Amino acid sequence: MPHDYLARVRNATIGLAAVGAIVTATYASPLAALGLVAGAAWSLVNLALLEVLVVALLTPAASARALPRAGWAIAGMTALLAGGAWLLFHLPPLALVAGFSLPFAVITLRAVSRALLESAAWRALVRSPWRATLAVAAVILAAWWLVPSGSLGQREGGEAHPAAADSARATLSDGAPADSASHEAAVAGETHGDAAPGKSHGAAAGEEEGGAGKFPNLITMIVAANHGAPWAHTLHRIEPILFAFFVGIVVCVIGFIASRNPKMIPSGLQNGAEMLVEALYDFVGNILGPRYARKYFPLLGSLFVYIFAMNLFGILPLMDSPTSNLNVTFALGLTVFVYVQYVGIRSLGIVGFLDHLLGNPRSVTGWVLAPLLLPIHILGELAKPISLSCRLFGNIFGEDMLMVGFAALGVGMLSFKGAPDWLPGIPLHAIFFPLALLTSTLQAFVFTVLATIYILLMLPHEDHGHEEEAHAH
Amino acid sequence: MPEPPEKNGEPSALKTAGLLLAIPTLLIVSPIVGYFVGSLADRWLKWNPWGGIVGLMLGFAAGGRETYRIYRRYQAEEERRTRR
Repeated sequence: MPHDYLARVRNATIGLAAVGAIVTATYASPLAALGLVAGAAWSLVNLALLEVLVVALLTPAASARALPRAGWAIAGMTALLAGGAWLLFHLPPLALVAGFSLPFAVITLRAVSRALLESAAWRALVRSPWRATLAVAAVILAAWWLVPSGSLGQREGGEAHPAAADSARATLSDGAPADSASHEAAVAGETHGDAAPGKSHGAAAGEEEGGAGKFPNLITMIVAANHGAPWAHTLHRIEPILFAFFVGIVVCVIGFIASRNPKMIPSGLQNGAEMLVEALYDFVGNILGPRYARKYFPLLGSLFVYIFAMNLFGILPLMDSPTSNLNVTFALGLTVFVYVQYVGIRSLGIVGFLDHLLGNPRSVTGWVLAPLLLPIHILGELAKPISLSCRLFGNIFGEDMLMVGFAALGVGMLSFKGAPDWLPGIPLHAIFFPLALLTSTLQAFVFTVLATIYILLMLPHEDHGHEEEAHAH
Repeated sequence: MPEPPEKNGEPSALKTAGLLLAIPTLLIVSPIVGYFVGSLADRWLKWNPWGGIVGLMLGFAAGGRETYRIYRRYQAEEERRTRR
């Protein structure tokens, strides 16, 4: 097991938890700080037990003592789970979750820093001390500008909440509900508000129950204009699928136009399309190697372009991001999952694939552990499409909600008397368009990187010296 | 289309970063999936609560196993890089 790596992660987590606990105890409460430390400790002990369990089960040298060690690890994890349940009832859950996430944050940051430090952009930045100083100054300036405005926004958000909730409710009723659940919740909130004094309370309650609505789009407007019609209800239910199809058609049409009349010296759309394809091909080739890049590039390149286009559609007026719906992202994750299994069967053969699922048993201990390793392996494979889909959905949905929230705040800010009718609000959400562009690209990129990595893990390794990939040969 | 470059035959930083990036979500999602599958078994086979508990345990183990596999791959890439 990666002792040095885990030790570094552990040390960084302990340091981070210590600093976080001091800050939390100073600015929040000592109990929250205790929760943070307890969460981090829980997570670290869990990782250590996992390390023991995995080493016991998978290292051939330790096969004689494998079962008792695995038993101890499982017993320890059971006790840890019970301890976690006790902590959840006695310490602030948010602080516990934050502490629990610390090692994962450390692992993610290590991966990101690794990519950043070896990138050409970083090397170019640190080559000249003046350039590096300018970059540091820019970061400090940005932090100086962002931190006070963020805290001010929080204060204003707290005060302006009823107005923002009212305007969000107005958006819902003027346009159309983004989904039936939020609409019903809004209606329920209004009914409640009529019964109790204060309409805004009802709207706020509705929002709390059903979450904020999205921006009205073409389909929700058609549905609102034909409210009650059975076909409108169906249209509303399949809205993300329709948008996903529409995006697919748009991408296909653009691809067709770009490649319709190819020229030796490209220009315009052909030039852009070739640049994109070439960059994506290099990117896939860097991960899979030249041998496999050509084979798997069509799927991976298409995934990037399709997801990127779907993410961007949320920014366009009267459109919606299909990727802000879990069904769509899950379908994408499922596609990758099925393809990865297909790649595994193709490269290992049916018997080799089953052998791989059973953990490549080559001894009596291996066969004894095979029934345990089979569900473990299947669960590990099942986790991949779910992690892919939840990550993409969460990020794009969050980005959409951020823009809706700021649009509602912009309307709320001008809801005082005397504001001109022709100005419904300040378009505060417009400042998040660059952020949306960035996250759209980044999420499409992350999805493609992970899909490529999952394919890579199924392929035979070029280096034959590692027991983990021995099954592939 | 020409072969994509693998800079001097070295595995790219993107590859190692991508490998490590897959770890956190797998560690979090695997126990959730395990618990979900175990709960389904509870519902169908009336094993309540053992299906959920066993599923959760297997989920943790699955997350650990995937992490181990990914890290072995990462280590192999690093060894290749040092050798060259």
